[in-house]
Amino acid sequence: MSRGDRIALAFLGLHPDRARSLVERHGSAGAVVRLARRGGIEGLDPDRVRRGEACRMEMDRADCRVVLHGEPGYPAALEDLGDPPDVLFVRGTLRPLPAVAVVGTRRCTSYGRRLASAFGREVARAGWVLVSGLARGIDGAAHRGTIDRGGVGVAVLGSGSDVVYPADHRHLHDTLIESGGAVITEYPPGTRPNGWRFPPRNRIISGLSKAVVVVEAGVTGGALVTALRAAEQGRAVFAVPGDVDREASIGCNLLIRDGAIPVLGPEDLVEGLSLLLGPPTRAPGSPAASGLPAGVDGVVLASARSPIAVDELIAALGLTAPTVLAAVARLELDGRLVRRDGLLLASEGI
Amino acid sequence: MFASVTSAALVGVEPSPVRVEAHVSGITSKQAVFSIVGLPDASIREARQRVQSAIIATGHRFPNRRITVNLAPADLPKVGSAYDLPIALGVLAAIGVLPPIATKVVAMGELALDGAVRAVRGGLAAGIVAGRRGLPCIVGSAGGAEAALSGADVRGVTSLAHAISVCLGEDPGEISPADSPASVLPPPIDLASVRGQSSARRAVEIAAAGGHHLLLVGPPGAGKTMLARAMPGILPDLTPSEALEVAQAHAAGGRPPAVGRRPPFRSPHHSATPAAILGGGSGVPVPGELTLADRGVLFLDELAEFPTHLLDTLRQPIEEGWVHVARKGVSVAFPCRVQVVAATNPCPCGYLGDSRTPCRCSSPAVDRYRARLSGPLLDRFDLRVTVPRVEAAALLGAGGEASSAVRSRVEAARRVQEARGSLNRSLGRDGLDSLPWTEGAGGLLASAMDRQGLTGRGWDRVRRTARTIADLDGSGVATGDHVAEALALRGAL
Repeated sequence: MSRGDRIALAFLGLHPDRARSLVERHGSAGAVVRLARRGGIEGLDPDRVRRGEACRMEMDRADCRVVLHGEPGYPAALEDLGDPPDVLFVRGTLRPLPAVAVVGTRRCTSYGRRLASAFGREVARAGWVLVSGLARGIDGAAHRGTIDRGGVGVAVLGSGSDVVYPADHRHLHDTLIESGGAVITEYPPGTRPNGWRFPPRNRIISGLSKAVVVVEAGVTGGALVTALRAAEQGRAVFAVPGDVDREASIGCNLLIRDGAIPVLGPEDLVEGLSLLLGPPTRAPGSPAASGLPAGVDGVVLASARSPIAVDELIAALGLTAPTVLAAVARLELDGRLVRRDGLLLASEGI
Repeated sequence: MFASVTSAALVGVEPSPVRVEAHVSGITSKQAVFSIVGLPDASIREARQRVQSAIIATGHRFPNRRITVNLAPADLPKVGSAYDLPIALGVLAAIGVLPPIATKVVAMGELALDGAVRAVRGGLAAGIVAGRRGLPCIVGSAGGAEAALSGADVRGVTSLAHAISVCLGEDPGEISPADSPASVLPPPIDLASVRGQSSARRAVEIAAAGGHHLLLVGPPGAGKTMLARAMPGILPDLTPSEALEVAQAHAAGGRPPAVGRRPPFRSPHHSATPAAILGGGSGVPVPGELTLADRGVLFLDELAEFPTHLLDTLRQPIEEGWVHVARKGVSVAFPCRVQVVAATNPCPCGYLGDSRTPCRCSSPAVDRYRARLSGPLLDRFDLRVTVPRVEAAALLGAGGEASSAVRSRVEAARRVQEARGSLNRSLGRDGLDSLPWTEGAGGLLASAMDRQGLTGRGWDRVRRTARTIADLDGSGVATGDHVAEALALRGAL
């Protein structure tokens, strides 16, 4: 099979399973592409082939590379998959660092969001790569946590690399690439984020990672698919336990019942991952060394390492509301504290 | 054969005297010709039948003469059956049943065909007019308590015959003491029953102290409504003259004006019409919720559910303290010096940022929801705080400080503001500039303008709140700490 035919096949944007069975039936990628051009593939517009050809011309301008299976630069971890993607579209830098996936439901609670963000930060601090899906909810929170700590993140999309879904994650998407991470997908540019494109996407998330951490998941949904694929691929599966009657935790609790490793907190996660990924490469910064300010400001910052509500902060510190509120406003002005969805979070460098 | 009796009409919430003049011609005709002039509405024209029957039922002859009743001033629109009693007294005086001196009263009431007097709404207006003129006020006995709120000499009567003997001084009538009606409003919720919510409690206290408008943002069931309902309980008592103004507004709205000294609390539903909220109606405009909340709290629950155009029309009256309503040639100004407390969910489903229940909203839906709130009205809220769901542990724990303790601090802060001349809510830029600020305060404000994109208006709002915090603190000068807390309490949304 020629390189050009394989890329042309990828540009058809077929479901990976369908593409593979077509190649088996017709002998080669080239034969499938020629068939498609004649309109011989059911449900596939022959125009798609022409559009794909036009799009290939634009690839360089879009700052997007094509990496083929078996060529240098293709992530070695994906070799473990029974069905590795033949072609990957990559923006940014793929680094051969140990990677861990943090995934979960889009409909998360602030509990899940807080933990996902904390995991993202801990993974970054340990010097590992965080892989996730750039979706709303847990995925986004984990990516943000990583970026907050100057870490490296990889997002695997269920759409074309130029289609950011959800659209308001555009900034996050761009920041991921700028901060030394990558955004990859097996779908050609311009591909819409159809629902059926996400389960195959999830096998890449788990495949790239040595371990998959499920933060919150309902009974159905992509996070559980990722966990199942991870188990099939021989990856370690971690799950965050939650209240048994909380909808967003049922999936995680089921995973733990079925043998996933329960995660008891960010430090516990790092400890557990160290056994699989090797010891953290970056020394964890101690709070004293990082120059926490003295007095109330310092206490507030230390308490806001993971997202916390103002009232929780007041209760936890046992100080009066005016004192804590004044400290919060000062730290916000200095950029050392940020507000996300009504929760306070200490920013980078603490 | 001429006589006159005074009565009263409401223009907006302001009582205005109405002179009921009666003239009976000297020439006998075949039958009585009874006409009423002076911008009467249909219900007043019907008064002819009621007055005629009541006079006959009372045992007096209704003369077969031309009888003309004029309601002056003629350009003031008058509605309702309230003028039956003064018309009857005027006619009786004009035909000589009553001596002219006996009609030096202010009267208001509806007559039944058998001569009984029914109380009507607006008795308070009659009381106020009577008080100003130093005349006794005769109203239906059921309306005596309302009229007595004015402090006037109020005589309740049960029938036209009773009214005649009161006018003649033969009977004192039913005398209502001036301070009889106790508050009929439900007592405000005590802050002691609000658990947790330390930052929101603090915001409620600051809002009460400076009269600031307050926005509460939180999931359903977090206690936003409870906090809002606690607000009247920590506001200072109304002065007697303020309480009378509040009673007038309620009376003008046709509601029982027994208000007492607690500031009113009104909570219009978001499906209410603009007329119900701003005031209006056909004929003579009646005050809306905005005016019923005058000198008290207007609570807008589910702020984002209110129609945008309605929120836009609220803006100017809230800023000015007056709402102007024009109807059919009558333009009235209703007072609405309200403190607005509004509550909203953070997103359409209400659970964005909640610790237990996942948010089911797409982020464009959240953006659309917030867009409805944003804009000029949102800018009016000096304080915007998050009200998170309270965990079970906190609910079981001890309650917070009681309203009475908070109120004493609020009252102290209000006294400082009174000495300065105005409530902090209405401090202008010049007023703010003339107050002392520490260097630290100035520095924080400058960096907030730089880094958080604080606008000029926002700058003034933060300074107003900071000034109130300093007043609560008993500090003459506003410091960096005061400004910082003010900044922290405008962060939600």
